Amino acid sequence: MGSGSFSSVLKKPETTSFIILVLVMVGFTLANDRFLSPLNISNLLAFMPELGIIALGMTLLLTAGEFDLSVGAVFALTPVSTLLMVQNGGLSLELALVIAFAATFLVGALNGFLVTKVGISSFLVTLSMLLIVRGTTLVLTQGFPLNSWDGDNWLRTALAGSFYIGTVRIYASLIWFAALGLLALYVLNVAKVGNWITAIGSNRSAAVARGVPADKVKIWLFIATSMLAGLAGVISSLRIASASPVAGSQYELEVIAMVVVGGTALTGGRGTIIGTIIGVLMLRIIRNGIVLVGVPGLAFNIFVGVIILAMLVLHARFNKSSERK
Amino acid sequence: MPEVMKLEDIRKNFGSIQALRGVDLTVNGGEVLALLGDNGAGKSTLIKTISGIYPIDGGQITVAGKPVRINSPREAMDLGIETIHQDTSLAPDLSIARNLFLGREPVTIPALGVFAPLDLKRLKAEASKLLRRVGISKNLDADAPVNSLSGGERQSIAISRAMQFSASLIILDEPTNNLGVEETNGVLRFIREVRDAGHSVIYITHNIHHVMNVADRAVVMRHGRIVADLMIRDTDLLSLEAIIMGADAATLAAGLKHGKQH
Repeated sequence: MGSGSFSSVLKKPETTSFIILVLVMVGFTLANDRFLSPLNISNLLAFMPELGIIALGMTLLLTAGEFDLSVGAVFALTPVSTLLMVQNGGLSLELALVIAFAATFLVGALNGFLVTKVGISSFLVTLSMLLIVRGTTLVLTQGFPLNSWDGDNWLRTALAGSFYIGTVRIYASLIWFAALGLLALYVLNVAKVGNWITAIGSNRSAAVARGVPADKVKIWLFIATSMLAGLAGVISSLRIASASPVAGSQYELEVIAMVVVGGTALTGGRGTIIGTIIGVLMLRIIRNGIVLVGVPGLAFNIFVGVIILAMLVLHARFNKSSERK
Repeated sequence: MPEVMKLEDIRKNFGSIQALRGVDLTVNGGEVLALLGDNGAGKSTLIKTISGIYPIDGGQITVAGKPVRINSPREAMDLGIETIHQDTSLAPDLSIARNLFLGREPVTIPALGVFAPLDLKRLKAEASKLLRRVGISKNLDADAPVNSLSGGERQSIAISRAMQFSASLIILDEPTNNLGVEETNGVLRFIREVRDAGHSVIYITHNIHHVMNVADRAVVMRHGRIVADLMIRDTDLLSLEAIIMGADAATLAAGLKHGKQH
């Protein structure tokens, strides 16, 4: 049993990802000792939760066999509409957030409804939604970033405040990411609905035949993903005290890359929150480390792409060896 | 034997196509009933109405003496009817234990609804107990994912799941379709054990040898109706085959005409 469980730990996709993450970190540290400097770690930790929070929702959605390309656009819509209501409409931040998140909820619900009840693939539905939401944001702002917002508010401290541990600056968003990560971990691995999510992505008709309300679960996952993307957008915008209609462009692809690099299958049925957290760290660290190592800016994406591909090849090989057809 | 289920004049239409044209059938306790017929005879449609996938357009279903309406797979299961489809009954990425309890997970804090934590200890213990009881535990770990199992093991797991919830009626839709000889024999043996444990089985198959081997009774469907209902001990392989092919000339001619249209 001892050796069996050891080899099963080795076979887990998140273990592969974790080993590679450690290797990458060691590599960057050897190449540039500023990689582990407090300033660099602060920078890494400031950005990471914003994409990471979206990645948590995306992991659950992918596990159920769907995905959402509209998250980057929602990342802009929620804060832009919030700050417009605050700056131009004179609403309190609290009320503006409630209204903006109600709209965000509707975006997710509409995605889920069109995918499950009308039967259009999530690729097409959420691609269209990306255009609609991004377009709406551009129209609302006339294409310009909003004025910087210097209002002080307890919510701003709670969502985007920061404090120091030694010389490392920690943002509140990191704590939110950690808490939401634990929640997602619980939902997927321990809660009853997690069993349903995996079953739906693994074999939808089997799940339905067992009485699992597959459509309802999927609709709520689309809603959760939209809400998390909106929350990430609001955190980001409160941190930089402004909101831009083009914020979050291409985040959808970055987030999906993070999730699959962590070992979650694009085809559904296999999801790992731990893997996603590793994937989020990995992509942020690679983007950060490549700059520190001095790779020329234009060649940057080549490296990111190659590393993502290498990870996916590794996962594919591990899956093949443990599966029986 | 008391009757487990009674169907009276069951009708089902898809647009202008009459898939079921008034089916009468009584399933008795503790019998293996083979449901036979050509493709398009209405076997699958009949099974789907019993298992809650299609609502019926007419007729009456009676389960354990009570008239019922079966509107969803869930309601069918609650009535003690478990259906095992060809190879779509399990979620391959979930463990054996989690598959066994899919949709009926034991939880520790039920008040949390769908967010209630699974009772993982009980899940594993009951799954292991079940695997031992049905004699397929040899080297199966309840925590192993189903995609690490062979086709025969998967069917046995699916059938065990139906037994575990003390289903009075277990419906097997071509359970041996993608299996090798050895594994098929295992599943057939298992079907007899299921019957001996007191469950009734409706067994859909095209393989007439399996029918002679495992069934107590054969029911033949054609064009949405039941055209023959006989005890296996009163018939033999050749007569049964002739009935399935359409023993009387009129229907044989109709079958040929039908065949030409394709």
